[in-house]
Amino acid sequence: MERLKDTEPMIKLKDIVVKFGDFTALHDINIEVREGEFFTFLGPSGCGKTTTLRTLTGFIDPAEGRVFVRGEDITDVPIEKRNIGIVFQSYALFPTMTVYDNIAFGLKVKKMKKSEIDQKVRTIAKKVDLSDEQLKKAVSQLSGGQQQRVAIARALVTEPAIICLDEPLSNLDAKLRVQLREELKKMQREFGITSIYVTHDQEEALTLSDRIAVFNKGVIEQIGTPNDIYNHSKTEFVCNFIGDINRLSEDIVTLLCLRGADLDTSWHHYVRLERIHVNEPERNGVLTVKGKVASREYYGLYIKYYVDLGSQLVKVMERNDGVHIYDEGDEVTINIDPADLMSYPPTEEAEA
Amino acid sequence: MTNTLKRKPIDATNAFRLIGGLFFAYLFFGFMLVPCLDTLTSIFTTKDANGNVDPFAVIRFFLAGNMGKFVLNSLKLAVLLVITVNVVGISIVLLTEYFDIKGAKILRLGYMTTMIYSGVALVTGYMFLYAGDGILTTALRESFPGIDTSWFSGFNAVLFTMTFACTSNHMLFLRNAIRGIDYNTVEAARNMGASPFKVLFKVVFPTLLPTLFSLTVMTFITGLCAMSAPTLLGYDSINPEIVRLAGSSTADEAFPQARAALLSIILAMFTIILLTVLSRYERKGHYLSVSKTKAKLQKQKITNPVANVLAHIYAYVLFIIYMTPVVMIVIFSFRSWESVKARKLTSGGWTLINYFGSQDYQYTASSGKIKVREGAISGMFSNKDTLGGIQTSFVLSVLAAAIACVIVVVACNYIFKHKKKGLVLEYALLFPWLLPTILICYSYRIFFNSNSVWYVFNQNLYYEDRVRILIVLAYMVVKLPFSLRMIKASFYAIDDELEDAAKNLGSGPLKTFLRVKLPIILPSVLAVFALNFNALFTEYDMSATFNSAHGRTYAMVIQSMVRDEGLSYTNLNASGRRCASTVFIMIVSGLILYLVYGVGARDLSERLAIRDRRRKRIDKLKKAFSGKDKKAEAEG
Repeated sequence: MERLKDTEPMIKLKDIVVKFGDFTALHDINIEVREGEFFTFLGPSGCGKTTTLRTLTGFIDPAEGRVFVRGEDITDVPIEKRNIGIVFQSYALFPTMTVYDNIAFGLKVKKMKKSEIDQKVRTIAKKVDLSDEQLKKAVSQLSGGQQQRVAIARALVTEPAIICLDEPLSNLDAKLRVQLREELKKMQREFGITSIYVTHDQEEALTLSDRIAVFNKGVIEQIGTPNDIYNHSKTEFVCNFIGDINRLSEDIVTLLCLRGADLDTSWHHYVRLERIHVNEPERNGVLTVKGKVASREYYGLYIKYYVDLGSQLVKVMERNDGVHIYDEGDEVTINIDPADLMSYPPTEEAEA
Repeated sequence: MTNTLKRKPIDATNAFRLIGGLFFAYLFFGFMLVPCLDTLTSIFTTKDANGNVDPFAVIRFFLAGNMGKFVLNSLKLAVLLVITVNVVGISIVLLTEYFDIKGAKILRLGYMTTMIYSGVALVTGYMFLYAGDGILTTALRESFPGIDTSWFSGFNAVLFTMTFACTSNHMLFLRNAIRGIDYNTVEAARNMGASPFKVLFKVVFPTLLPTLFSLTVMTFITGLCAMSAPTLLGYDSINPEIVRLAGSSTADEAFPQARAALLSIILAMFTIILLTVLSRYERKGHYLSVSKTKAKLQKQKITNPVANVLAHIYAYVLFIIYMTPVVMIVIFSFRSWESVKARKLTSGGWTLINYFGSQDYQYTASSGKIKVREGAISGMFSNKDTLGGIQTSFVLSVLAAAIACVIVVVACNYIFKHKKKGLVLEYALLFPWLLPTILICYSYRIFFNSNSVWYVFNQNLYYEDRVRILIVLAYMVVKLPFSLRMIKASFYAIDDELEDAAKNLGSGPLKTFLRVKLPIILPSVLAVFALNFNALFTEYDMSATFNSAHGRTYAMVIQSMVRDEGLSYTNLNASGRRCASTVFIMIVSGLILYLVYGVGARDLSERLAIRDRRRKRIDKLKKAFSGKDKKAEAEG
């Protein structure tokens, strides 16, 4: 078994390739996760994020590459001996067992003493805010949020080195998702456990993660902090996938160049909605384009304007100050700072 | 996504898989394919008087002789049965589920009685009422001495009996289908001006069509393969003829076995065609409600007063037809043999002798001497024959039902893990579905009645006690397709992630199966076991084919009680005991259905809630008693 240096990160996926028959699901995946970090695999359906997670947990053997945990090569270590806890998308709670039995399952498999099991189950239950009364219940008697806590408790009770969470919020309604997202982050901080989180929800990824790996078609497009990913997207895919964005039309780019911007007109230029403004006082280096408000969406805290610039509609997100509110048909100017643009050379994929 | 790329080491699991593969191959080839192929080839290997093989002798005989009559009779029964069963079946479902009929709950119970007694018990029950010496015929004869007392026999009697016997499927499946209708669609149609009957025909019926089509095909096959009713009521159809021919010899008639084989194959061809049509139709898919907020169906009032009264009269007439045999059987099971023989109810003559104990019968012989027949009157639990039949049927049915369930559970576990290879196994286990029961039984009876079948160690299985092995094998094989369909459905409830979760928590394959998967499917497996047992306990077709002194099942005992009825002095209360046996069957079946659908269907939360309520009740009682004790102590 190959050993890496002690300075190596908690998890290291090295040159991972996964194939299903002729189809290559993962191409040369390289990820390093630090101890205690909340690391997210983000991407659309079928991008390889769950396959990467399953490779880490041992459900899939890579065709090439190695998996290291704390410097130890665990590529050939069986699933049950990897010491990695998993919270499944469906929670995978055993429906024929009570909450208590669900949490105790892994400890019973390890043939621990009854008293020790009891002590561990009650301790972890307390930590995830499950009452003694709830422990006696069937899992179907609990709400979605409570079931999630059981799943987390079950994954943590065996004291794993890492916890993997595979889209654990995807089955919940929007309100509960936001609420549990906060609880999840709080819990992770309390336990201090290295966490791998899989999601296709960019908002979830941005709010929860220390770092994010953005997947696309079996490759990693970018690894970085939420701020890196959002404001300094490395690729056009990341820039498009994360958040809402305007891709400026060739006419607008040409117009900006005529007004002094140094832009390559053959490239694709993007600007985030909150980086452009309506009727902003003139600033140095900020270029203005005239347009007309085509429509408006009122969100309370923000107002989203669709402004017709002639060759394209651009979306602008303005804070609602209660004073500067524009109506449909109002003539406005749009202020764009070229420094806020994210620019990419055209690729076949983007052209498609 | 499963662990597609996981490399499996050569270990105990692989060895187990190999043994399993060999076992299923042995089961399929040895007990499904080879015996039936033997039957098929026997048709073309008949020999003429000179000992030369004449491949088409039986077919020539079929075309020239009266064998075609049996096929036509069966087809006639099947076609008419489809009409009558659908008319009655749809009526009872609409009357209890769709229209607002007063006393619908009671009516439903009456219409469902065929679920707790069927087959030979039901046929003999109807005979007890309508046959020449039946209760109703006796009563009618007293009022109208000139009536034909043998009116309840032959085709009409078979059709009448089977019409009411075969509506159980309508009560199960059509009832579920009608309950699944989204009431909003009915309201929408009414809102657009459709009358209640227009709604019924244009909105409700079209959604029921797939279920009705399945029921029609199943009823047709039931009619075609009818056995107990034609045998007991005297109608020349295919199945009774096969059994008769199987027991005949070449000394009595021309190549009886080959003729029986030909009839079985004809039946199989019809079955295969019909099931192919059914499965093609099922593949087209059913109508599914697209509503996100489905509304519960509400009963429709029949606004026309005349139609309302007529519907009520129709509902209660059907109720009387369903209930009268049941009520009469229960009543007469507590009557003395004299009362049963006279088919009359008087204030006296009540007894438990048809159930328990035995009595001697004293009579004066023609010589004038007083003689005693010891034990001529005996209860079902005291009569050696009846008890023997119950015991035989119980043991054989439990064994067959359990083996079928175990085989199917193991198979389903494999099928769900290995989608492609599993498909072969699935089709192998569904194979008996294509074959009429009588073909399987007939094939077994002929093929295994030999000392030269190597894979059963050259043992003649149709010999003495070994016939019981043959019955268990036939019972089990016949029940495999049903068990597979039902248990496979329950496997869909197992989320793939549950197995992954157990594996992640350190559980091995066997432990995961026993502690995670099995508890999930167990209620369904037990339900299938119970339903299989229920069907096999009073099963007639196979019992009749394998009937012998060593393999006499409960159904055969019941049939023999009909035969014994006229034999005075030896078995005086045969009819009363038959009534008691039917009551026993109804209790056992009812209990099983209650356990399956009542107790077995509860999930963990319901069971915990019941346990909780029970605990609270006990605590309350304890408190009450301790309170009394304290009071007593204080007073003391």
